[in-house]
Amino acid sequence: MNGFFRQKRITGIRFATPMILTLALVVFIPLIFSFVVSFYRYTFINPDFNQFVFFNNFINAFRDQYFWNAMKVTFLFVGLVVPLEFIVGYSIALLLNREIKFKTVFYTILTIPMVMSPVVVGLIWKMLLHPELGIVNYFMSVLGLPYINWLGSPKTAIVTLVLVDIWHQVSFMILILLAGLSSLPKEPFEAAIIDGANGLQILLYVTTSLMKPIITVAVLMRLILAFRTYDLIYIITKGGPGISTDIISYYIYKKTFMGMDLSQASAVSYLLMLVVMVIVVILFRQMVKER
Amino acid sequence: MIKYSIKKKIIDGFTYLFLTLFSLAILLPILWVVRTSLATDVIAYQIPPKWFFTPSLENYRDLFVTNGFLRFFGNSLIISIGTTLVAIPIATLGAFAFTRFNVGGRPLQFIVLGTQMLPGIIFILPIFVIFNSLKLTDTYIGVIIAYLAFNLPFLVWLLMGFFEGLPQELENAAAIDGLSPFETFIKIVIPISAPGVMAAAVLSFILCWNEFLFALVLTGGTTNPVPVGLAAMATQRGVLIGKLSAGTTLAILPMIIISFTVRKYLVRGLTFGAIK
Repeated sequence: MNGFFRQKRITGIRFATPMILTLALVVFIPLIFSFVVSFYRYTFINPDFNQFVFFNNFINAFRDQYFWNAMKVTFLFVGLVVPLEFIVGYSIALLLNREIKFKTVFYTILTIPMVMSPVVVGLIWKMLLHPELGIVNYFMSVLGLPYINWLGSPKTAIVTLVLVDIWHQVSFMILILLAGLSSLPKEPFEAAIIDGANGLQILLYVTTSLMKPIITVAVLMRLILAFRTYDLIYIITKGGPGISTDIISYYIYKKTFMGMDLSQASAVSYLLMLVVMVIVVILFRQMVKER
Repeated sequence: MIKYSIKKKIIDGFTYLFLTLFSLAILLPILWVVRTSLATDVIAYQIPPKWFFTPSLENYRDLFVTNGFLRFFGNSLIISIGTTLVAIPIATLGAFAFTRFNVGGRPLQFIVLGTQMLPGIIFILPIFVIFNSLKLTDTYIGVIIAYLAFNLPFLVWLLMGFFEGLPQELENAAAIDGLSPFETFIKIVIPISAPGVMAAAVLSFILCWNEFLFALVLTGGTTNPVPVGLAAMATQRGVLIGKLSAGTTLAILPMIIISFTVRKYLVRGLTFGAIK
Protein backbone atom coordinates (compact mmCIF):
# COMPACT_ATOMS: atom_id res chain seq x y z
CA MET A 1 0.00 0.00 0.00
CA ASN A 2 2.89 2.31 0.83
CA GLY A 3 4.20 1.83 -2.67
CA PHE A 4 0.84 2.80 -4.11
CA PHE A 5 0.80 6.11 -2.24
CA ARG A 6 4.39 6.81 -3.15
CA GLN A 7 3.54 6.13 -6.79
CA LYS A 8 0.58 8.51 -6.53
CA ARG A 9 2.74 11.23 -5.00
CA ILE A 10 5.30 10.94 -7.77
CA THR A 11 2.57 11.11 -10.44
CA GLY A 12 1.18 14.25 -8.79
CA ILE A 13 4.57 15.91 -8.69
CA ARG A 14 5.07 15.09 -12.38
CA PHE A 15 1.80 16.86 -13.20
CA ALA A 16 2.82 19.86 -11.13
CA THR A 17 6.41 20.17 -12.35
CA PRO A 18 5.88 22.52 -15.33
CA MET A 19 3.82 24.86 -13.12
CA ILE A 20 6.32 24.84 -10.26
CA LEU A 21 9.29 25.44 -12.58
CA THR A 22 7.55 28.29 -14.40
CA LEU A 23 6.47 29.97 -11.18
CA ALA A 24 9.96 29.58 -9.76
CA LEU A 25 11.30 31.36 -12.81
CA VAL A 26 8.83 34.25 -13.01
CA VAL A 27 7.71 34.65 -9.40
CA PHE A 28 10.10 33.27 -6.80
CA ILE A 29 13.48 34.10 -8.34
CA PRO A 30 12.40 37.73 -8.94
CA LEU A 31 11.03 37.98 -5.38
CA ILE A 32 14.25 36.58 -3.90
CA PHE A 33 16.27 38.92 -6.10
CA SER A 34 14.43 42.02 -4.90
CA PHE A 35 14.60 40.78 -1.30
CA VAL A 36 18.38 40.58 -1.55
CA VAL A 37 18.56 43.90 -3.38
CA SER A 38 16.66 45.62 -0.58
CA PHE A 39 19.63 44.99 1.76
CA TYR A 40 22.24 46.33 -0.65
CA ARG A 41 23.04 49.64 -2.24
CA TYR A 42 22.05 48.65 -5.78
CA THR A 43 21.19 51.29 -8.37
CA PHE A 44 21.00 51.29 -12.15
CA ILE A 45 24.13 53.44 -12.20
CA ASN A 46 25.95 51.08 -9.86
CA PRO A 47 24.30 47.67 -10.39
CA ASP A 48 26.32 45.34 -8.18
CA PHE A 49 26.21 43.73 -4.78
CA ASN A 50 29.31 45.18 -3.09
CA GLN A 51 27.66 47.47 -0.53
CA PHE A 52 25.66 45.62 2.10
CA VAL A 53 23.66 48.22 4.03
CA PHE A 54 21.55 46.16 6.44
CA PHE A 55 18.19 47.87 7.02
CA ASN A 56 19.26 51.26 5.69
CA ASN A 57 16.91 51.13 2.71
CA PHE A 58 13.98 50.49 5.01
CA ILE A 59 15.07 53.17 7.47
CA ASN A 60 15.50 55.63 4.61
CA ALA A 61 11.99 54.83 3.42
CA PHE A 62 10.59 55.60 6.85
CA ARG A 63 12.50 58.88 6.86
CA ASP A 64 11.22 59.87 3.42
CA GLN A 65 8.25 62.24 3.63
CA TYR A 66 7.20 61.22 0.09
CA PHE A 67 6.91 57.62 1.27
CA TRP A 68 4.53 58.69 4.03
CA ASN A 69 2.61 60.82 1.57
CA ALA A 70 2.28 57.81 -0.75
CA MET A 71 1.07 55.67 2.16
CA LYS A 72 -1.45 58.34 3.11
CA VAL A 73 -2.74 58.63 -0.47
CA THR A 74 -2.96 54.83 -0.80
CA PHE A 75 -4.85 54.28 2.44
CA LEU A 76 -7.16 57.23 1.72
CA PHE A 77 -7.92 55.90 -1.77
CA VAL A 78 -8.42 52.31 -0.66
CA GLY A 79 -10.38 53.40 2.42
CA LEU A 80 -12.77 55.40 0.22
CA VAL A 81 -13.25 53.20 -2.84
CA VAL A 82 -13.81 49.85 -1.11
CA PRO A 83 -16.69 50.85 1.23
CA LEU A 84 -18.30 53.09 -1.41
CA GLU A 85 -18.10 50.42 -4.08
CA PHE A 86 -19.57 47.91 -1.67
CA ILE A 87 -22.51 50.18 -0.75
CA VAL A 88 -23.31 51.09 -4.36
CA GLY A 89 -22.67 47.56 -5.63
CA TYR A 90 -24.76 45.88 -2.95
CA SER A 91 -27.65 48.30 -3.54
CA ILE A 92 -27.64 47.62 -7.26
CA ALA A 93 -27.32 43.87 -6.70
CA LEU A 94 -30.35 43.95 -4.36
CA LEU A 95 -32.38 45.86 -6.96
CA LEU A 96 -31.31 43.46 -9.71
CA ASN A 97 -32.27 40.50 -7.55
CA ARG A 98 -35.93 41.60 -7.48
CA GLU A 99 -38.38 40.19 -9.99
CA ILE A 100 -38.21 42.83 -12.69
CA LYS A 101 -38.40 43.12 -16.46
CA PHE A 102 -35.30 43.75 -18.60
CA LYS A 103 -33.11 42.18 -15.92
CA THR A 104 -30.61 40.85 -18.47
CA VAL A 105 -30.43 44.23 -20.19
CA PHE A 106 -29.61 46.06 -16.95
CA TYR A 107 -27.20 43.35 -15.87
CA THR A 108 -25.37 43.36 -19.19
CA ILE A 109 -24.95 47.13 -19.24
CA LEU A 110 -23.94 47.42 -15.60
CA THR A 111 -21.21 44.80 -15.94
CA ILE A 112 -19.61 46.16 -19.13
CA PRO A 113 -16.84 48.06 -17.24
CA MET A 114 -15.66 44.73 -15.82
CA VAL A 115 -13.94 43.80 -19.07
CA MET A 116 -12.51 47.28 -19.71
CA SER A 117 -8.90 47.94 -18.76
CA PRO A 118 -8.09 50.74 -16.29
CA VAL A 119 -6.08 52.38 -19.09
CA VAL A 120 -9.13 52.70 -21.29
CA VAL A 121 -11.33 53.85 -18.40
CA GLY A 122 -8.69 56.43 -17.49
CA LEU A 123 -8.50 57.73 -21.05
CA ILE A 124 -12.28 58.00 -21.37
CA TRP A 125 -12.65 60.02 -18.17
CA LYS A 126 -9.58 62.12 -18.85
CA MET A 127 -11.23 63.23 -22.09
CA LEU A 128 -14.67 63.74 -20.54
CA LEU A 129 -13.24 65.74 -17.61
CA HIS A 130 -10.82 67.83 -19.66
CA PRO A 131 -10.91 71.43 -18.29
CA GLU A 132 -11.72 73.10 -21.65
CA LEU A 133 -12.74 70.34 -24.04
CA GLY A 134 -14.53 68.06 -21.60
CA ILE A 135 -18.21 67.38 -21.97
CA VAL A 136 -18.90 66.99 -18.23
CA ASN A 137 -18.31 70.64 -17.33
CA TYR A 138 -20.36 71.70 -20.34
CA PHE A 139 -23.36 69.71 -19.11
CA MET A 140 -22.87 71.06 -15.61
CA SER A 141 -22.97 74.62 -16.93
CA VAL A 142 -26.13 73.81 -18.89
CA LEU A 143 -27.71 72.59 -15.66
CA GLY A 144 -26.54 75.74 -13.88
CA LEU A 145 -23.98 73.91 -11.74
CA PRO A 146 -20.63 75.52 -10.91
CA TYR A 147 -17.52 74.79 -12.96
CA ILE A 148 -15.31 72.16 -11.31
CA ASN A 149 -11.64 71.78 -12.08
CA TRP A 150 -11.84 68.00 -11.68
CA LEU A 151 -8.18 67.11 -11.96
CA GLY A 152 -6.56 70.51 -11.53
CA SER A 153 -6.40 70.88 -7.76
CA PRO A 154 -4.99 68.45 -5.17
CA LYS A 155 -8.28 68.22 -3.25
CA THR A 156 -10.55 67.55 -6.23
CA ALA A 157 -8.09 65.24 -8.06
CA ILE A 158 -8.19 62.48 -5.44
CA VAL A 159 -12.00 62.69 -5.18
CA THR A 160 -12.27 62.52 -8.98
CA LEU A 161 -10.06 59.41 -9.06
CA VAL A 162 -12.23 57.79 -6.40
CA LEU A 163 -15.34 58.51 -8.49
CA VAL A 164 -13.76 57.14 -11.67
CA ASP A 165 -12.66 54.02 -9.80
CA ILE A 166 -16.20 53.53 -8.50
CA TRP A 167 -17.53 53.87 -12.05
CA HIS A 168 -15.09 51.19 -13.16
CA GLN A 169 -15.10 48.70 -10.28
CA VAL A 170 -18.66 48.75 -9.01
CA SER A 171 -19.42 46.09 -11.62
CA PHE A 172 -17.06 43.74 -9.77
CA MET A 173 -19.20 44.06 -6.64
CA ILE A 174 -22.48 43.75 -8.56
CA LEU A 175 -21.32 40.60 -10.31
CA ILE A 176 -20.15 38.81 -7.18
CA LEU A 177 -22.88 39.98 -4.81
CA LEU A 178 -25.67 39.24 -7.28
CA ALA A 179 -24.28 35.74 -7.84
CA GLY A 180 -24.40 35.32 -4.07
CA LEU A 181 -27.91 36.72 -3.70
CA SER A 182 -29.36 34.50 -6.40
CA SER A 183 -27.91 31.38 -4.80
CA LEU A 184 -29.38 31.98 -1.33
CA PRO A 185 -31.85 29.35 -0.05
CA LYS A 186 -35.54 30.32 -0.18
CA GLU A 187 -36.70 28.84 3.17
CA PRO A 188 -35.36 31.51 5.58
CA PHE A 189 -37.20 34.19 3.60
CA GLU A 190 -40.49 32.29 3.66
CA ALA A 191 -40.11 31.74 7.39
CA ALA A 192 -39.40 35.44 7.98
CA ILE A 193 -42.49 36.48 5.99
CA ILE A 194 -44.68 34.06 7.97
CA ASP A 195 -43.23 35.53 11.17
CA GLY A 196 -44.39 38.92 9.94
CA ALA A 197 -40.99 40.56 9.31
CA ASN A 198 -41.10 43.70 7.19
CA GLY A 199 -38.91 44.41 4.17
CA LEU A 200 -36.18 46.24 6.08
CA GLN A 201 -36.00 43.54 8.76
CA ILE A 202 -35.70 40.84 6.09
CA LEU A 203 -32.91 42.79 4.38
CA LEU A 204 -30.96 43.32 7.59
CA TYR A 205 -31.51 40.07 9.45
CA VAL A 206 -32.06 37.51 6.72
CA THR A 207 -30.45 38.60 3.44
CA THR A 208 -27.41 40.34 4.84
CA SER A 209 -26.67 37.75 7.48
CA LEU A 210 -26.93 34.93 4.93
CA MET A 211 -24.73 36.96 2.57
CA LYS A 212 -22.04 37.59 5.17
CA PRO A 213 -19.49 35.03 3.88
CA ILE A 214 -19.85 36.23 0.29
CA ILE A 215 -19.71 39.89 1.32
CA THR A 216 -16.52 39.13 3.22
CA VAL A 217 -14.88 37.50 0.20
CA ALA A 218 -16.00 40.30 -2.14
CA VAL A 219 -14.78 43.09 0.12
CA LEU A 220 -11.44 41.43 0.93
CA MET A 221 -10.82 40.74 -2.72
CA ARG A 222 -11.63 44.27 -3.76
CA LEU A 223 -9.38 45.52 -0.93
CA ILE A 224 -6.45 43.49 -2.27
CA LEU A 225 -7.05 44.67 -5.83
CA ALA A 226 -7.45 48.30 -4.73
CA PHE A 227 -3.98 48.20 -3.17
CA ARG A 228 -2.48 47.59 -6.58
CA THR A 229 -4.15 50.53 -8.32
CA TYR A 230 -1.59 51.89 -10.71
CA ASP A 231 -2.81 52.20 -14.31
CA LEU A 232 -5.59 54.66 -13.51
CA ILE A 233 -3.18 57.01 -11.71
CA TYR A 234 -0.57 56.71 -14.47
CA ILE A 235 -3.10 57.63 -17.16
CA ILE A 236 -5.13 60.32 -15.40
CA THR A 237 -2.90 62.26 -13.00
CA LYS A 238 0.64 60.81 -12.98
CA GLY A 239 0.51 61.30 -9.21
CA GLY A 240 -0.31 65.01 -9.48
CA PRO A 241 -1.14 67.79 -9.07
CA GLY A 242 2.03 67.92 -6.98
CA ILE A 243 2.07 64.64 -5.06
CA SER A 244 -1.61 64.66 -4.15
CA THR A 245 -2.43 61.38 -5.94
CA ASP A 246 1.00 59.73 -5.70
CA ILE A 247 -0.23 56.23 -4.83
CA ILE A 248 2.30 53.69 -3.48
CA SER A 249 2.67 51.67 -6.72
CA TYR A 250 3.34 54.87 -8.66
CA TYR A 251 5.80 56.02 -5.98
CA ILE A 252 7.74 52.76 -6.36
CA TYR A 253 7.63 53.04 -10.15
CA LYS A 254 9.07 56.57 -10.00
CA LYS A 255 11.77 55.54 -7.50
CA THR A 256 12.87 52.81 -9.90
CA PHE A 257 12.64 54.35 -13.33
CA MET A 258 13.17 58.04 -12.57
CA GLY A 259 15.14 57.84 -9.33
CA MET A 260 17.11 54.82 -10.64
CA ASP A 261 17.22 53.62 -7.03
CA LEU A 262 16.28 49.96 -7.21
CA SER A 263 17.26 49.04 -3.66
CA GLN A 264 15.10 51.74 -2.10
CA ALA A 265 12.20 50.79 -4.39
CA SER A 266 12.59 47.10 -3.48
CA ALA A 267 12.51 47.90 0.23
CA VAL A 268 9.28 49.87 -0.18
CA SER A 269 7.74 47.16 -2.37
CA TYR A 270 8.44 44.62 0.39
CA LEU A 271 6.63 46.87 2.86
CA LEU A 272 3.67 47.04 0.48
CA MET A 273 3.81 43.27 0.08
CA LEU A 274 3.62 42.83 3.84
CA VAL A 275 0.42 44.89 4.08
CA VAL A 276 -1.28 43.05 1.19
CA MET A 277 -0.07 39.64 2.40
CA VAL A 278 -1.92 40.10 5.69
CA ILE A 279 -5.20 40.64 3.82
CA VAL A 280 -4.48 37.73 1.48
CA VAL A 281 -4.01 35.42 4.49
CA ILE A 282 -7.34 36.56 5.97
CA LEU A 283 -9.03 36.02 2.59
CA PHE A 284 -7.51 32.58 2.16
CA ARG A 285 -8.72 31.44 5.58
CA GLN A 286 -12.19 32.65 4.67
CA MET A 287 -12.09 30.77 1.36
CA VAL A 288 -10.92 27.55 3.01
CA LYS A 289 -13.84 27.85 5.41
CA GLU A 290 -16.20 28.22 2.41
CA ARG A 291 -15.01 25.32 0.30
CA MET B 1 -53.93 43.67 0.07
CA ILE B 2 -54.54 46.84 -1.94
CA LYS B 3 -52.13 48.72 0.29
CA TYR B 4 -49.56 46.00 -0.26
CA SER B 5 -49.77 46.22 -4.04
CA ILE B 6 -49.43 50.02 -3.98
CA LYS B 7 -46.32 49.67 -1.87
CA LYS B 8 -44.94 47.08 -4.28
CA LYS B 9 -45.61 49.41 -7.23
CA ILE B 10 -43.71 52.22 -5.53
CA ILE B 11 -40.73 49.97 -4.83
CA ASP B 12 -40.86 48.68 -8.41
CA GLY B 13 -40.89 52.26 -9.65
CA PHE B 14 -37.79 53.08 -7.61
CA THR B 15 -36.07 49.93 -8.83
CA TYR B 16 -36.59 50.81 -12.49
CA LEU B 17 -35.65 54.45 -11.90
CA PHE B 18 -32.36 53.66 -10.15
CA LEU B 19 -31.35 50.84 -12.46
CA THR B 20 -32.04 53.07 -15.47
CA LEU B 21 -30.01 55.92 -13.98
CA PHE B 22 -27.06 53.65 -13.13
CA SER B 23 -27.19 52.03 -16.57
CA LEU B 24 -27.14 55.43 -18.24
CA ALA B 25 -24.19 56.46 -16.06
CA ILE B 26 -22.26 53.48 -17.42
CA LEU B 27 -23.48 53.63 -21.00
CA LEU B 28 -23.38 57.36 -21.82
CA PRO B 29 -19.62 57.93 -21.31
CA ILE B 30 -18.88 54.93 -23.54
CA LEU B 31 -21.35 56.04 -26.21
CA TRP B 32 -19.92 59.57 -26.09
CA VAL B 33 -16.46 58.23 -26.84
CA VAL B 34 -17.81 56.15 -29.75
CA ARG B 35 -19.58 59.28 -31.03
CA THR B 36 -16.39 61.35 -30.77
CA SER B 37 -14.43 58.67 -32.59
CA LEU B 38 -16.69 59.24 -35.60
CA ALA B 39 -16.28 63.03 -35.58
CA THR B 40 -13.75 65.07 -37.52
CA ASP B 41 -11.28 67.12 -35.45
CA VAL B 42 -13.26 70.34 -35.86
CA ILE B 43 -16.43 68.72 -34.47
CA ALA B 44 -14.59 66.71 -31.78
CA TYR B 45 -13.17 69.87 -30.22
CA GLN B 46 -16.43 71.85 -30.36
CA ILE B 47 -18.00 73.00 -27.08
CA PRO B 48 -21.02 73.24 -26.96
CA PRO B 49 -21.03 69.95 -28.83
CA LYS B 50 -22.60 69.46 -32.21
CA TRP B 51 -25.26 66.76 -31.87
CA PHE B 52 -25.81 65.80 -35.48
CA PHE B 53 -23.06 65.37 -38.02
CA THR B 54 -22.11 63.03 -40.83
CA PRO B 55 -19.99 60.30 -39.26
CA SER B 56 -16.49 60.01 -40.64
CA LEU B 57 -13.94 57.22 -40.36
CA GLU B 58 -11.07 59.69 -40.64
CA ASN B 59 -9.87 59.02 -37.05
CA TYR B 60 -9.75 55.29 -37.62
CA ARG B 61 -7.87 55.73 -40.88
CA ASP B 62 -5.36 58.11 -39.24
CA LEU B 63 -4.94 55.71 -36.36
CA PHE B 64 -3.82 52.93 -38.68
CA VAL B 65 -1.98 55.00 -41.26
CA THR B 66 -0.07 57.55 -39.16
CA ASN B 67 -0.09 56.16 -35.61
CA GLY B 68 0.82 52.56 -36.43
CA PHE B 69 -2.17 51.21 -34.55
CA LEU B 70 -2.13 48.02 -36.60
CA ARG B 71 1.21 47.17 -35.01
CA PHE B 72 -0.15 47.76 -31.45
CA PHE B 73 -3.16 45.66 -32.29
CA GLY B 74 -1.02 42.88 -33.73
CA ASN B 75 1.33 42.99 -30.75
CA SER B 76 -1.60 42.72 -28.35
CA LEU B 77 -2.88 39.69 -30.26
CA ILE B 78 0.53 37.97 -30.36
CA ILE B 79 1.16 38.58 -26.64
CA SER B 80 -2.33 37.65 -25.43
CA ILE B 81 -2.70 34.53 -27.59
CA GLY B 82 0.92 33.51 -26.99
CA THR B 83 0.61 33.77 -23.22
CA THR B 84 -2.68 31.88 -23.21
CA LEU B 85 -1.32 29.06 -25.39
CA VAL B 86 1.69 28.60 -23.12
CA ALA B 87 -0.26 28.99 -19.88
CA ILE B 88 -3.22 26.68 -20.53
CA PRO B 89 -1.34 23.34 -20.74
CA ILE B 90 0.87 24.18 -17.75
CA ALA B 91 -2.12 25.39 -15.72
CA THR B 92 -4.39 22.41 -16.52
CA LEU B 93 -1.64 19.98 -15.46
CA GLY B 94 -0.95 22.03 -12.33
CA ALA B 95 -4.60 22.39 -11.37
CA PHE B 96 -5.11 18.64 -11.86
CA ALA B 97 -2.09 17.94 -9.64
CA PHE B 98 -3.61 20.13 -6.95
CA THR B 99 -7.15 18.73 -7.06
CA ARG B 100 -6.43 15.01 -7.57
CA PHE B 101 -3.01 14.51 -5.99
CA ASN B 102 -3.03 17.38 -3.48
CA VAL B 103 0.58 18.19 -4.35
CA GLY B 104 2.20 20.41 -1.72
CA GLY B 105 -1.08 20.59 0.21
CA ARG B 106 -2.69 23.84 1.30
CA PRO B 107 0.60 25.72 1.85
CA LEU B 108 1.68 25.41 -1.79
CA GLN B 109 -1.81 26.24 -3.02
CA PHE B 110 -1.78 29.30 -0.82
CA ILE B 111 1.57 30.43 -2.22
CA VAL B 112 0.27 30.04 -5.78
CA LEU B 113 -2.85 32.08 -5.04
CA GLY B 114 -1.13 34.56 -2.76
CA THR B 115 1.54 35.59 -5.22
CA GLN B 116 -1.04 36.29 -7.91
CA MET B 117 -2.84 38.71 -5.61
CA LEU B 118 0.19 40.83 -4.77
CA PRO B 119 0.61 44.17 -6.52
CA GLY B 120 2.29 43.79 -9.92
CA ILE B 121 4.82 46.51 -9.16
CA ILE B 122 6.51 44.13 -6.67
CA PHE B 123 7.32 41.62 -9.44
CA ILE B 124 8.02 43.91 -12.32
CA LEU B 125 11.07 45.63 -10.81
CA PRO B 126 13.19 42.48 -10.40
CA ILE B 127 11.78 40.95 -13.60
CA PHE B 128 12.86 44.06 -15.47
CA VAL B 129 16.42 43.92 -14.09
CA ILE B 130 16.77 40.18 -14.76
CA PHE B 131 15.22 40.35 -18.25
CA ASN B 132 17.30 43.39 -19.11
CA SER B 133 20.51 41.50 -18.39
CA LEU B 134 19.21 38.53 -20.42
CA LYS B 135 18.32 40.88 -23.32
CA LEU B 136 14.67 39.81 -23.04
CA THR B 137 13.17 43.30 -22.84
CA ASP B 138 11.28 44.45 -25.94
CA THR B 139 10.86 40.85 -27.13
CA TYR B 140 7.60 38.89 -27.41
CA ILE B 141 9.15 35.94 -25.55
CA GLY B 142 10.11 38.20 -22.66
CA VAL B 143 6.63 39.67 -22.24
CA ILE B 144 4.95 36.29 -22.61
CA ILE B 145 7.20 34.73 -19.92
CA ALA B 146 6.57 37.68 -17.60
CA TYR B 147 2.79 37.50 -18.14
CA LEU B 148 2.85 33.92 -16.87
CA ALA B 149 3.61 35.39 -13.42
CA PHE B 150 0.03 36.57 -13.00
CA ASN B 151 -1.74 34.47 -15.62
CA LEU B 152 -0.65 31.04 -14.47
CA PRO B 153 -1.83 31.32 -10.82
CA PHE B 154 -5.11 32.83 -12.04
CA LEU B 155 -5.72 29.92 -14.41
CA VAL B 156 -4.67 27.28 -11.88
CA TRP B 157 -7.20 28.57 -9.38
CA LEU B 158 -9.94 28.86 -11.94
CA LEU B 159 -9.33 25.36 -13.31
CA MET B 160 -9.13 23.84 -9.83
CA GLY B 161 -12.75 24.93 -9.42
CA PHE B 162 -13.71 23.07 -12.61
CA PHE B 163 -11.82 19.90 -11.79
CA GLU B 164 -13.29 19.74 -8.29
CA GLY B 165 -16.76 19.64 -9.86
CA LEU B 166 -15.99 16.67 -12.15
CA PRO B 167 -17.33 13.23 -11.18
CA GLN B 168 -14.46 10.95 -10.20
CA GLU B 169 -16.15 7.70 -11.29
CA LEU B 170 -15.02 8.15 -14.90
CA GLU B 171 -11.41 8.54 -13.87
CA ASN B 172 -11.61 5.53 -11.56
CA ALA B 173 -13.12 3.44 -14.38
CA ALA B 174 -10.34 4.56 -16.72
CA ALA B 175 -7.73 3.54 -14.13
CA ILE B 176 -9.34 0.08 -13.85
CA ASP B 177 -9.25 -0.20 -17.65
CA GLY B 178 -5.49 0.24 -17.39
CA LEU B 179 -5.07 3.84 -18.50
CA SER B 180 -2.12 5.65 -16.94
CA PRO B 181 -2.88 8.85 -14.99
CA PHE B 182 -1.55 10.93 -17.88
CA GLU B 183 -3.66 9.04 -20.45
CA THR B 184 -6.70 9.47 -18.19
CA PHE B 185 -5.97 13.18 -18.03
CA ILE B 186 -5.64 13.57 -21.82
CA LYS B 187 -8.43 11.17 -22.90
CA ILE B 188 -11.02 11.63 -20.15
CA VAL B 189 -10.50 14.76 -18.05
CA ILE B 190 -9.64 17.27 -20.78
CA PRO B 191 -12.52 16.32 -23.13
CA ILE B 192 -15.20 16.53 -20.41
CA SER B 193 -13.84 19.79 -19.00
CA ALA B 194 -13.34 21.34 -22.45
CA PRO B 195 -15.99 24.09 -21.99
CA GLY B 196 -14.37 25.13 -18.71
CA VAL B 197 -10.89 25.13 -20.23
CA MET B 198 -12.15 27.19 -23.19
CA ALA B 199 -13.73 29.73 -20.83
CA ALA B 200 -10.49 29.90 -18.86
CA ALA B 201 -8.60 30.56 -22.09
CA VAL B 202 -10.95 33.42 -23.02
CA LEU B 203 -10.61 34.98 -19.55
CA SER B 204 -6.84 34.63 -19.78
CA PHE B 205 -6.92 36.38 -23.16
CA ILE B 206 -8.94 39.29 -21.71
CA LEU B 207 -6.58 39.54 -18.72
CA CYS B 208 -3.53 39.79 -21.01
CA TRP B 209 -5.23 42.17 -23.44
CA ASN B 210 -5.99 44.62 -20.62
CA GLU B 211 -2.63 44.37 -18.84
CA PHE B 212 -0.65 47.59 -18.65
CA LEU B 213 2.13 47.80 -16.04
CA PHE B 214 4.20 44.81 -17.20
CA ALA B 215 3.80 45.90 -20.81
CA LEU B 216 4.79 49.48 -19.99
CA VAL B 217 8.03 48.33 -18.37
CA LEU B 218 8.97 45.41 -20.62
CA THR B 219 7.89 46.38 -24.13
CA GLY B 220 9.45 48.89 -26.48
CA GLY B 221 8.94 50.27 -29.97
CA THR B 222 8.56 46.88 -31.66
CA THR B 223 6.42 45.07 -29.08
CA ASN B 224 4.15 47.77 -27.55
CA PRO B 225 0.59 46.45 -27.15
CA VAL B 226 -2.58 48.56 -27.42
CA PRO B 227 -2.74 49.97 -23.83
CA VAL B 228 0.86 51.20 -23.98
CA GLY B 229 0.31 52.64 -27.45
CA LEU B 230 -2.82 54.47 -26.31
CA ALA B 231 -1.10 55.80 -23.17
CA ALA B 232 1.73 57.15 -25.31
CA MET B 233 -0.73 58.81 -27.70
CA ALA B 234 -2.46 60.46 -24.75
CA THR B 235 0.70 62.27 -23.73
CA GLN B 236 1.81 63.29 -27.23
CA ARG B 237 1.09 66.85 -28.38
CA GLY B 238 -1.88 67.66 -26.19
CA VAL B 239 -5.09 65.69 -26.40
CA LEU B 240 -5.90 64.00 -29.68
CA ILE B 241 -9.54 63.52 -28.72
CA GLY B 242 -10.79 62.04 -32.00
CA LYS B 243 -7.99 59.55 -32.52
CA LEU B 244 -7.86 58.57 -28.84
CA SER B 245 -11.58 57.91 -28.91
CA ALA B 246 -11.17 55.71 -31.96
CA GLY B 247 -8.32 53.81 -30.29
CA THR B 248 -10.31 53.40 -27.10
CA THR B 249 -13.30 52.08 -29.03
CA LEU B 250 -11.11 49.53 -30.79
CA ALA B 251 -9.56 48.47 -27.48
CA ILE B 252 -12.85 47.78 -25.71
CA LEU B 253 -15.20 46.50 -28.41
CA PRO B 254 -13.51 43.12 -28.96
CA MET B 255 -13.42 42.53 -25.19
CA ILE B 256 -17.10 43.36 -24.71
CA ILE B 257 -18.03 41.03 -27.56
CA ILE B 258 -15.93 38.05 -26.50
CA SER B 259 -16.88 38.50 -22.85
CA PHE B 260 -20.44 37.50 -23.80
CA THR B 261 -19.19 34.00 -24.56
CA VAL B 262 -17.92 33.59 -20.98
CA ARG B 263 -20.63 35.47 -19.04
CA LYS B 264 -21.42 32.34 -17.03
CA TYR B 265 -17.83 31.95 -15.91
CA LEU B 266 -17.11 35.59 -15.13
CA VAL B 267 -17.96 35.38 -11.42
CA ARG B 268 -15.85 32.30 -10.96
CA GLY B 269 -13.00 33.91 -12.84
CA LEU B 270 -13.15 37.05 -10.75
CA THR B 271 -13.11 35.25 -7.43
CA PHE B 272 -10.61 32.54 -8.42
CA GLY B 273 -13.32 29.97 -7.97
CA ALA B 274 -14.20 31.08 -4.44
CA ILE B 275 -17.79 31.74 -5.48
CA LYS B 276 -19.47 29.46 -8.01
